[in-house]
Amino acid sequence: MFRIFFATDVHGSDLCWKKFIAGAKFYEANALVLGGDMTGKAVIPMVRGARGETRVELMDQVHVLKDEAAVQAMETTIANKGYYPVRLDEDQLADLRQHPERIDALFTERVILRVREWLAYAETKLAGTSVRCYVCPGNDDAFAIDPLLKESERVCLGEGQVLAIEEQVSMISTGWANRTPWHTDRELDEPDLGAKIEAMATELPSTTGWVFNLHCPPHKSGLDDAPELDADMRPKYAGHILAAVGSTAVRAAIEKYQPQVSLHGHIHEGRGTSKIGRTICINPGSTYESGNLLGAVVDFKGAKLADHRLTSG
Amino acid sequence: MATLGGTRGPIVAGSLDLFVRNATGLVRSWAAFDAFIYSFFSINLVTLGWFEFTFGPGSAPGGNLLTAIVISGLLILAEVAVYAGLIAVMPRAGGDYVWQTRILGGGLGFVLAITGWVFTLWLWVPIYGEIFSTEFISPVCTILASITGNHTFVDWAINSLSHTGYMISSIVVSVFAAAVIAAGMKIYARVQKFCFVGGMIGLGVMIVMLLVNSHADFVNGFNHFNQKIFGVKGAYAATLQAAAKAGYTPVPFNKLALGGSFALIPIVIFFNLYPNWGATLYGEVRGANDFKRNLQSMALALIVTTALALITLILIAKVTTDTFYNDASQTYWAGTGSMPVWPYPGLLASFLTSNSILQLFLILSLSLWFWGWCGTVFLSSTRVIFAAAFDRVLPSWAATVNRGVPTNALLAMVIPGLALSILYSYNIWQFQTVILDAVLVIAVTFFGSAIVALVLPWRQKRLYDQSPIAKYKIAGIPMISICGAILMGFLGWNIWMWLYNSSYGVNNQTSLKFLASFYVIALVIYLVSRYVNNQRGVNLNTIHKEIPIE
Repeated sequence: MFRIFFATDVHGSDLCWKKFIAGAKFYEANALVLGGDMTGKAVIPMVRGARGETRVELMDQVHVLKDEAAVQAMETTIANKGYYPVRLDEDQLADLRQHPERIDALFTERVILRVREWLAYAETKLAGTSVRCYVCPGNDDAFAIDPLLKESERVCLGEGQVLAIEEQVSMISTGWANRTPWHTDRELDEPDLGAKIEAMATELPSTTGWVFNLHCPPHKSGLDDAPELDADMRPKYAGHILAAVGSTAVRAAIEKYQPQVSLHGHIHEGRGTSKIGRTICINPGSTYESGNLLGAVVDFKGAKLADHRLTSG
Repeated sequence: MATLGGTRGPIVAGSLDLFVRNATGLVRSWAAFDAFIYSFFSINLVTLGWFEFTFGPGSAPGGNLLTAIVISGLLILAEVAVYAGLIAVMPRAGGDYVWQTRILGGGLGFVLAITGWVFTLWLWVPIYGEIFSTEFISPVCTILASITGNHTFVDWAINSLSHTGYMISSIVVSVFAAAVIAAGMKIYARVQKFCFVGGMIGLGVMIVMLLVNSHADFVNGFNHFNQKIFGVKGAYAATLQAAAKAGYTPVPFNKLALGGSFALIPIVIFFNLYPNWGATLYGEVRGANDFKRNLQSMALALIVTTALALITLILIAKVTTDTFYNDASQTYWAGTGSMPVWPYPGLLASFLTSNSILQLFLILSLSLWFWGWCGTVFLSSTRVIFAAAFDRVLPSWAATVNRGVPTNALLAMVIPGLALSILYSYNIWQFQTVILDAVLVIAVTFFGSAIVALVLPWRQKRLYDQSPIAKYKIAGIPMISICGAILMGFLGWNIWMWLYNSSYGVNNQTSLKFLASFYVIALVIYLVSRYVNNQRGVNLNTIHKEIPIE
């Protein structure tokens, strides 16, 4: 039995990354696969005041922190939620306000710092085990993290590669997605996304089982149902109306190649499993901001898919 | 919210800065009004409220409806706070099922959630059917009989309230609700908004009619139309006489009747217990503002519905007298009423005018309250079935989707729903007496979530401490725990009343066997699933358990 623990869209959450690594032991997995969108969405300034107190706004609430212990505890909270805490004084904050382009550099700096920490954490925790860890940056991840992942000895960068993750199981990966309203880093038009997948799929060995680790879920699979937005980017009808926003290219690739299993993320609300032809498609969803790691356990017996189930940890 | 520039589009929120880059899913908050509508329809004044108001006082004759509505509404605010809080701590999690399985354990969580969100909805199918008969078919046919003079409509108005009438209506409800699920919420949401606007216009027209007409106008109209349509002479006086003959003396609306009204609450919550019904669907909670928006949407729906309930009842009493309204209700259910159809407030109001078009408009516009509400009977159920199937507690085929339609989950709702409709419609084993079981099972499920709320700050300390509600405390005690305790007390008291007092129809043999069957079936499903999964090397416990970090 070869077992994969798959999770996705941890979006910078320290806690979720640690749980992901711990998932190998907890779920008795042979391989860890992270499906993309590793990095966070926000930098949270922690502003030192004149009296030595630190003010921080998190979740629409302003916190005034009196001492270093409280500041450190808040930094942990922020990091567990997937954001990046940055200690600033009033002058530095004013400087950022005046020079918004510097925020970009600040983001990149913090993203790289956390990815480095995560890789070091994985090295330590997985040392002495045979567990292999595969990650593939998603559409929300800056390209700056790719070199770090390539350098890692323990964590393998899956993007664009055909990998033999087990003797009888091969995996292709891409974190690129179809176009979104947010114009994120790794988006392609459907034909280009299809070509990217095709280039990998044609290289898959016919003697093994196949895993498609494609960040974007297939169109109209039920795994791609996201709240439909109005022109102001507001969820329509309190988020009750869902629209299929997945990729037609991903769907076409699955229909054509019929891998044993396809692993997806991208749409946090799209938790579930679906079947396209003989392929089991899985999107475990994401609730990273609460530190709860949603995932999926996938079992192979030889080249055949033996079992799969969603997890919540 | 101001916007800073920059290539990654950072934005600023609140009094301090929060630098956000462009990333998938960063959306504005949903409109509170949309959430309000869903909640408002869940505690539907016209369909649930008016229906319940006619049988409540008869079952607890010492109570005043108005007092019971106000007290229960105030206490249900604790439920609103509990659910808004749970969503804030565990957003997008899937509601009671996930909260309970994670905090109370997989077995207990499954049993409570599947009974409250799936099994009991089977019983709601014939209840919806009965409401469809009483509030749509029957009054529409009554008015058409008045307009056309065709006696066939009179037959239909009366026969729609028969055993077969209820059964046909239950089938219509099932087909319509299944069609809504198949078509998707996108279409139905538009239908709901239309129904909200149209239904509110209808209610507004009715309120104006009640305001501008006098008691004498009503007596004349009621007598006139009952004679014209049903051939009943002196219907108003006959109604009062029938009630007096039966020894029924309702409590006047202007008498507080506090003690007796508490006994009415286990019946009143048939209508107002569910402002949280759509709460788990409201999307991502990113901060305290989203928590407050959820809280306000649900609370406002409860408050507005309570206010409308009081206004409509007081205005009905103004033209009909509260004695007549209660007498008409009581005598109808006793089978001794002078008017052979259910005393639907919309129909009573329509008797205030001789304008046929206005009468028909009133009945049809008020029916929009039904159409905007009916389609959701299976909506949350299918989601819980999916969640349980994803957890492997239910077989994976339960979550099968064919061309976007959750076929098997729908069948799991429709078939048992129709089976119970036969029992209910034809009153086999006195099955109509178990109507409040439909509420009891939901209340037990909510009770489970109240326990979750009570213990959450300690059982899931990290999760709670990092949530936007961690700052809300009263005397140092987490607000969610206090509200959880209040809700436990409120629901626990109702459950005890249902089981203790035979007037609610819950503690008879039929009801108790029926209730027991729900919980036994749920438990058996879980245990069988656990066994089967164990045989396959799957430990169900690990599916819900938090991954320990070493």
